[in-house]
Amino acid sequence: MKKTLLSSFVAFGLAVLPLSAQAGTVTVKGSDTMVILAQRWAEAFMKKNPATKIQVTGGGSGTGLAALQNGTTDIAMSSREIKEAEEEKLRTRYNTPPTAVSVAKDGVTFYVNASNKLDALTVEQLKDIYLGDTTSWKAVGGADAPIVLYSRENSSGTYVFVKDTVLGGDDFAAAAQTLPGTAAVVNAVSKEKNGIGYGGAAYAKGIKELKVKKGNEAFAPTAENVKSGKYPLSRDLFFYLRNKPSGEAKAFIDFALSAEGQAIVTQVGYFPVK
Amino acid sequence: MRPLLVAFSLLTSSAAMAQAATSQEALPTPPASEPREAVEPSATAPQQPAAPQPPRANAPTVPEASPSIDERLTADEHRVEALEEQNTETKNDLSALKKLRFSGYVQGRYQYQQDLDDSGAGGYSRFGIRRGRLKATYTTDLTQFMLQIDAVPTGVALRDAEATLFVPGTKQQLSVTLGQMKWPFGYEGPQSSSDREFPERSRVVRNMLPSERDRGAKVNARYKFLRLAVGVFDGAGIDSGTTQDNDKEKDVIAHLGFDLKWLAGGVSGWYGHALGRLPSDTFRHAYDRSRIGADLQAYFDVVPLGGTSLKGEFIAGRTYGAANNAAHLDVPAHGWYLLLVQNIGLNDAVAVRYDTFDPHNGQADLAAGELPGADNAVDTVGFVVQHHFGENLKMSATYEIPTTHAVAQALDPHDNLFTLQMQARF
Repeated sequence: MKKTLLSSFVAFGLAVLPLSAQAGTVTVKGSDTMVILAQRWAEAFMKKNPATKIQVTGGGSGTGLAALQNGTTDIAMSSREIKEAEEEKLRTRYNTPPTAVSVAKDGVTFYVNASNKLDALTVEQLKDIYLGDTTSWKAVGGADAPIVLYSRENSSGTYVFVKDTVLGGDDFAAAAQTLPGTAAVVNAVSKEKNGIGYGGAAYAKGIKELKVKKGNEAFAPTAENVKSGKYPLSRDLFFYLRNKPSGEAKAFIDFALSAEGQAIVTQVGYFPVK
Repeated sequence: MRPLLVAFSLLTSSAAMAQAATSQEALPTPPASEPREAVEPSATAPQQPAAPQPPRANAPTVPEASPSIDERLTADEHRVEALEEQNTETKNDLSALKKLRFSGYVQGRYQYQQDLDDSGAGGYSRFGIRRGRLKATYTTDLTQFMLQIDAVPTGVALRDAEATLFVPGTKQQLSVTLGQMKWPFGYEGPQSSSDREFPERSRVVRNMLPSERDRGAKVNARYKFLRLAVGVFDGAGIDSGTTQDNDKEKDVIAHLGFDLKWLAGGVSGWYGHALGRLPSDTFRHAYDRSRIGADLQAYFDVVPLGGTSLKGEFIAGRTYGAANNAAHLDVPAHGWYLLLVQNIGLNDAVAVRYDTFDPHNGQADLAAGELPGADNAVDTVGFVVQHHFGENLKMSATYEIPTTHAVAQALDPHDNLFTLQMQARF
């Protein structure tokens, strides 16, 4: 009987041995912030490597990391660091610690109306403003006028970044108006002289990008400050993989980190890591 | 009949007139600031709307008075505002719902165990439902509610009922939990059964942490790579047969761990008492119930097929076993296991586990007739092959070969066990 059982066991084992993965295709899923960047990389990469297909889709950082857990994507794009629970799930399921590759940097920028005389604020002041504790520009050295707050939707990675990094995990003031994208925030601030908003680096008429004070120095969200980490609100944009990159996925990541790939980062509006 | 009809006709017509009057009165008056042309009919327009007439051939069509751009913009703005309001309401509803999460899993099984001895006694071939879990979790920034039940053929039982407070200002790194929860001891005990490769926990964990749960209070703290969980529990566990603790003895249990991503582990401690009476006792006595443990998990990426993990755990303690732990009162025991898991691609894995448990340290192996003694040590080698059918279904085939230490004429029982398990989770 022991023999029969062992044979059944081995037969089952052979039956479930994996089929070889679909060769030639790398799927990339996740952060909406990174979709355009990854698409540009994919286009340039596929021109050089016509045999490889790179499929890029958005859905948000959480969606990408969930897809990585479920085995439905090769690379997850994330504009935030992986959470402990997500990492634990990946380790449990695939018996290897996930690999994080920082492929670009982004500086979260606060904008005010071009007529606002302020040039810089500290992170603490920004926190007080967005928590609703500071409601007048006068309290931070500006005009005697009420502050009009603009924010992003809570599904946005930038919203989560500001909530965690600037607000220390607390909730935004109820008065903050939620807008669907950086362009909408920039547009609103350009029209509202008492407005303040946040998003990626934006060069639009009618707004001013605030510097962020750290000690006696104020840092603008420039490529140099973001790359060096001097700008206090810089963040990494990541590729996450289940294990160490190999094969075509590795070739794609190597391309993203190459001089050509990092030049694309600058073209899209983010900051290179190299 | 005729007067009745007349009265009815009068009544309905007056009601209709009254209604019309009300509707007229309810019409909004235009604001004074609004442009005149926006509210006044054009001079060419008829005072009363004329009945529509079929257009004549070649006749130029007269455009109807259309609302101005301002009017249309204002109307659209109102519509957008209304939609935004609805959207906010929907988002508020959804954000509340997003805090509530349901999950669960069912483990259906077929098992075949060899005849225990040459007489043909023992052994089985059976289907079963090992676990049917349904879990609801509601998490806010400050609190968490968790309830988990287990619905199996023997009935529905409460597994977990936890109320957690995340200490404000700690970003959920520090929390206090009260209720029925898992003991914070070791690795395999707190690990979810749905994540494990083997259908059951190792023998030492099954004996030292029967049912893995108890009622009590626990503090969880995380700082960088360090993890601390410490709690005070009734001590006997939820399989003890009592629904409430009837003594004043409490057990303190703690696990101090670290997590370096590729290497994790920790040490555990347990100190408490179990009230009971040995044959030599006149009265009940509070016997030590204690454990120490160490666990280590390493994750590698060396084999090109997929990830590899190596996990091990050692536990030694005194006073253990189900049924109020009275079965092994004041008995010292120890055991350990080593588990190697190799992923093959995305959907498959193979694993091998060696576990050993000595139910009575220092006691020589015994024989009871032709069978080994009940407290003889048991070593078990197990093999698993598992396959994931997508994200929700996992199938595993396990073969376990226990070897009971035997002396003299006693023989190791024929108790090899085959388990085919299908697990669906959501």
